[in-house]
Amino acid sequence: MFVDLIQNTLDGLTSGAAYALLAVGFTLIFGVLRRVNLSYGPAIMFGCYAATWFHVHFQGGLLLLAVITIAGTVLAGAYVERLCFAPHRDGSAIAAMVASFALWMQLEELAILAMPKHLYAFPALYEGRPLALGPFSLRVEALLMLLVTVATCVALHRLLYRSRFGLAVRAVIEQPVAAQLAGIDLPGIFVRIFAVASLVGAIAGYLIVSSSEQVTPMLGMWSTLKGMLAMMLGGLGSLPGAVLGGLALGLIEAHSQWFFGPQVRDLTAYLLLFILLALRPSGLWTTTRSAS
Amino acid sequence: MSALLEVRDIVTAYGKIEALKGVSLEVQQGSITCLLGPNGAGKTTLMMTTAGILKPKAGSIRFSGDEIAGAAPHAIVTKGVALVPENRLVFPNMTVVENLHAGAYRRNDQPEIAADVDRMLTRFPVLKQRAAQGAGTLSGGEQQMLSVARALMSRPKLLLMDEPSLGLAPLIVEEIFRIIAELRKDGTTIFLVEQNAHMALTVAHHFYLIEQGKVTFSGTPGSLAEDEVIKRAYLGSAKT
Repeated sequence: MFVDLIQNTLDGLTSGAAYALLAVGFTLIFGVLRRVNLSYGPAIMFGCYAATWFHVHFQGGLLLLAVITIAGTVLAGAYVERLCFAPHRDGSAIAAMVASFALWMQLEELAILAMPKHLYAFPALYEGRPLALGPFSLRVEALLMLLVTVATCVALHRLLYRSRFGLAVRAVIEQPVAAQLAGIDLPGIFVRIFAVASLVGAIAGYLIVSSSEQVTPMLGMWSTLKGMLAMMLGGLGSLPGAVLGGLALGLIEAHSQWFFGPQVRDLTAYLLLFILLALRPSGLWTTTRSAS
Repeated sequence: MSALLEVRDIVTAYGKIEALKGVSLEVQQGSITCLLGPNGAGKTTLMMTTAGILKPKAGSIRFSGDEIAGAAPHAIVTKGVALVPENRLVFPNMTVVENLHAGAYRRNDQPEIAADVDRMLTRFPVLKQRAAQGAGTLSGGEQQMLSVARALMSRPKLLLMDEPSLGLAPLIVEEIFRIIAELRKDGTTIFLVEQNAHMALTVAHHFYLIEQGKVTFSGTPGSLAEDEVIKRAYLGSAKT
């Protein structure tokens, strides 16, 4: 029993790490643009499909496939930004969200047309045996996932807190009007933050498909859902909150699966989100934000 | 003196409602020019239009002879116009020093920016004590100083100030106006929106009255009895 609890915690942390990355990407777009991008997951799915397509036809190494995943996701992300968010910059947030839903369908159809089978194999990140630590087992790819997540978060933190671009991004998140008055070019920041969010999402997507060793068109919806859920758990628009929310979601899923079975796993996560929103609507991690 | 800022027939609307119905005015190089008027007259709208946050429907705004009406805010900052916005709008979760660096975003002369940060901390000693603190923890007066300092970090030729005394204690208000006079002496032209007509008239070289989106009076501080100015600045002239 106790051993299982610890094992579940380990498993939960590794899937939570992927959720955390998904949530960070989602939060970057939400925090900076104040827009919900439903096509966030589908763009990641598109990148993973591009890599899978390449692998099916030409057999690529893991590193090459990672590069293709990132390039495909950033490309799809740029397409979404141009079509959904650039035209609605001053306009309706709902219009942008609905437009991003339309592109979700488009990207999904495109993937299905190019690769009509429901499921494709994706090369594994690591094919050896799991590491045994006493009574616990730790999959090496899970360990890699944790490491890459930590490295990505550290790099992102450096970008946001040590660079001129990061200063501008934080200024836009906190006070968009004052940021413009300080001379920060808002559309320019939007485009670049979309690219950064796509990059983070692509890393998450690559880790997820290479550790589950498969891709399906459902990856798009799944990524948007998990990213949004983790973001809401952590508190809208807060980056540390997104990491915390992702880890919390992973832990909740792992433990509830063990206690109640896989059918109840997702239900538990939604139920907890419901309770959290009722009791603490600002999320686990609350930031102060001046009224704008 | 020549006009540094020339506003001609500016119309700015929120949807169908015109907040500015053809405003024309001038700010002379090296002067302090003040815009007075009651709430809702269009003062903030004019400031936001000049800074590029709001786009005018018609009219022209020339700065140093260049047309800036409808230009992007960052382009206007680059030309040398900075706005200290109403309610200060500091970046609350960023430190005082980070706020100052954000103000210098369009510049890329790193050593000079660092020197300017030091200059601001010397000019505004209250900020020096709180240099590493989050701007959200500052008092209203300190935030106002920070907002002014942040705008100065872009080295503007024209400083627009929207209600810098709003909600501040009388001693702080006096300090703000002392700073305004100092800045002018250092060569910065100032265009000031104020509710505190009495204080504004003590520093202004020229003032305009704006009521319901139109300039209704223009003159120098002695040209209209102060109580008449104050009455119209707060209440607007009675029109029935």
